[in-house]
Amino acid sequence: MIYLDNAATTRPNEQAVLRASEAVSSIWYNPSALYEGGGLARKTIDSAREKLLLFAADSSAFELIFTSCGTEADNQAIFGAAKRGNFVTTAGEHAAVYACAQELKNRGVEVRYAPLRSDGSVDCEALLNLVDGNTSLVSVIHVNNETGAINPVAELAARIKQINPRTVFHSDGVQAFGKIPVRLTKHIDLYSVSAHKIGGLKGVGALIKRRSLSLSPYLYGGGQEGGKRSGTENVLGILAFSYSADSAFHALEENAKRVSFLREKLWNSLDKNIFFRLSSVSGTPYILSVSASGLKGEVLQRMLSDKGVYVGTGSACSSKRPHSRVMEACGHKKELLEGVLRLSFSAETTEEEIVEAARIINNVASRLQGRLK
Amino acid sequence: MTEKVVIIRYAEIHLKGKNRGFFERVFTVNLERSLKGLRHELRRTSGRYLVENFDEARVDEICERIHNVFGVHSYSVGIKTEDTIDAIYAAAESVAPTIGTFKVESHRADKRYPMTSMQINAEIGGRLLSKFQELKVDVHHPDAFVYIDVRENGSALVFGEFCKGRGGMPVGTAGKGLLLISGGIDSPVAGYMMAKRGMTVEYLHFHSYPYTNGLAKEKVVRLAKTLSRFTGMHRLNTVSVTQIQEEIHSKCAAEYNVTLLRRFMFRIAERFAQKGGLQCLITGESLGQVASQTIEGMTSSNTVVTLPVLRPLVGFDKDEIIERSRDVGTYDISVEPYEDCCTVFLPEFPAIKPKLKDLEEEEKKLDVEGLVEKALSEREVIEF
Repeated sequence: MIYLDNAATTRPNEQAVLRASEAVSSIWYNPSALYEGGGLARKTIDSAREKLLLFAADSSAFELIFTSCGTEADNQAIFGAAKRGNFVTTAGEHAAVYACAQELKNRGVEVRYAPLRSDGSVDCEALLNLVDGNTSLVSVIHVNNETGAINPVAELAARIKQINPRTVFHSDGVQAFGKIPVRLTKHIDLYSVSAHKIGGLKGVGALIKRRSLSLSPYLYGGGQEGGKRSGTENVLGILAFSYSADSAFHALEENAKRVSFLREKLWNSLDKNIFFRLSSVSGTPYILSVSASGLKGEVLQRMLSDKGVYVGTGSACSSKRPHSRVMEACGHKKELLEGVLRLSFSAETTEEEIVEAARIINNVASRLQGRLK
Repeated sequence: MTEKVVIIRYAEIHLKGKNRGFFERVFTVNLERSLKGLRHELRRTSGRYLVENFDEARVDEICERIHNVFGVHSYSVGIKTEDTIDAIYAAAESVAPTIGTFKVESHRADKRYPMTSMQINAEIGGRLLSKFQELKVDVHHPDAFVYIDVRENGSALVFGEFCKGRGGMPVGTAGKGLLLISGGIDSPVAGYMMAKRGMTVEYLHFHSYPYTNGLAKEKVVRLAKTLSRFTGMHRLNTVSVTQIQEEIHSKCAAEYNVTLLRRFMFRIAERFAQKGGLQCLITGESLGQVASQTIEGMTSSNTVVTLPVLRPLVGFDKDEIIERSRDVGTYDISVEPYEDCCTVFLPEFPAIKPKLKDLEEEEKKLDVEGLVEKALSEREVIEF
């Protein structure tokens, strides 16, 4: 099986999981307990916290709050920071932010969506035009999960603060953290990350927060995570996250370079009579979105699955919402919208896999084309 | 010696004269099957059934299961106690209301009992009135009843609330049918309605893998499973119509796609039914709901089969069907967004009033017999 859906989730990093599970026999205690075992668990979490934070930010200005997933981190950020006035975001957000925006709208907050360019990145000038004195929060995805386009979040954050210094800036960094260089500047207030996109386990995410920003909690309870996120911590998952991030960040540039080569190799091998490229070269190396014009991405996905190649589509196809909201916002034509395939890589993807996958994808697509004539 | 019991009253079975024995036997089997896995004893007594000797903490579960057996007119949780007047009163006090109006109704199977029914009513009613100050008797339109049933073996049953069952006839008393089940809202309801009239319902699902996905099939399995609470049928037959759709798509006029496909479905279904001794086809069609469900559309599919096609929803509005599907418990599954085989090659403008002659003309371009046989030969069965 060739796995090319790493933007959905990655295979857990074996070493990271092994090391974390070995540690579990001594750190399974409740981290809030005051006896020695509890203290040990507490220390484990805190050193993982420190390590993860340092990969992306300066620990004197930022802190990291563990959550159960990237979606929770986004929800915490948005519902914690959005106030009366307006919320500005982009048409290219992941559902974890988009659905929050819809809910804010239901609660009476004005939501403004900035349009996208054809590669899925936000139109920066248009976004800045939407920000005004009443903007309480701006949320801009760092790396678009469908097209791979990278938004200049540091630059946007700085310019937004010039317009309104009180505006809080959040970015969903789930597809960026551990894959492309991430450095949180002083203008970024909140940043969401997730473990299972970089070889960690499902069930762990984190919200990186500027220390000076106060955020009302999303979960109340036993006061864990400094009262900012109650609930007994997922010690095993957190530890595995720190180990997998270790190896991801350790080889970040080297991996990105290699994967970038693989992405171009795959694109060059795909049949240009069938496939149209949606991702730009300047996007993350880890995502290549293409469209097989006139074919349905979902059908291709199933046929490829039968041939042992796992890929993603633009979104789950349904008769109610026939194509991806984000791809539609990129301004693509209807024929392209239906045929979207998202091919996404990890540091583990090999050149042989890419060569083989390209062959199979071309075959399956041209066969399907033949059947539909 | 007091214990909880459930009293079950049945619906139309008593109308059935000489067939009564048959109906009651099937009903007993269905009740037993519904209670499988729960400790209980089921007994038939003078025109009713009694569930006894169960774990009292699970009485709600027992009621829930009985509620879904067709043929159950109503049921009550009651108390079985000794037939002394004090024991009967103690039981009555626990089932009686404490406010509003009520009426005591007694019945003696044991006519040697020292009090008459009227005397029991008066005694128990009187005691309840003095116990609960806000309670009044109303023999014509009471808010609540207290039923007392003195039995022959020195015991008495006391119960209050009547819960309405689903009615209908015991499944297995009215022949066998084949339900064409899609992933939509209508067909599960159609299956429910025929099962409610006592029909044994077998399921047949058409899919178009890889155009429709495994999740769509899995959704139908869940629909069938939900339906099986009523029908007792625990398998789903599936047939792929992918090749048929591709053939139609490449050779026939686009506006007839859906109608032609439906004719194939009916042919396949009829052949499948005849092999399994099933006596009719059941569909969830409702007149005029979509382009293929016009009278012309129905006629065009009926003409390719000889078995009767039952369409229990034909006169229902969508709203009415949705309401029923919520009651059946299939609605939330039905609305999950997976593509149906009908939508895969959906033409932009389907023919609303297909002419038989045109359809037959289109079918001349296809190897109808070969396609039907091939589809049938690749049938799969999913047991659950």
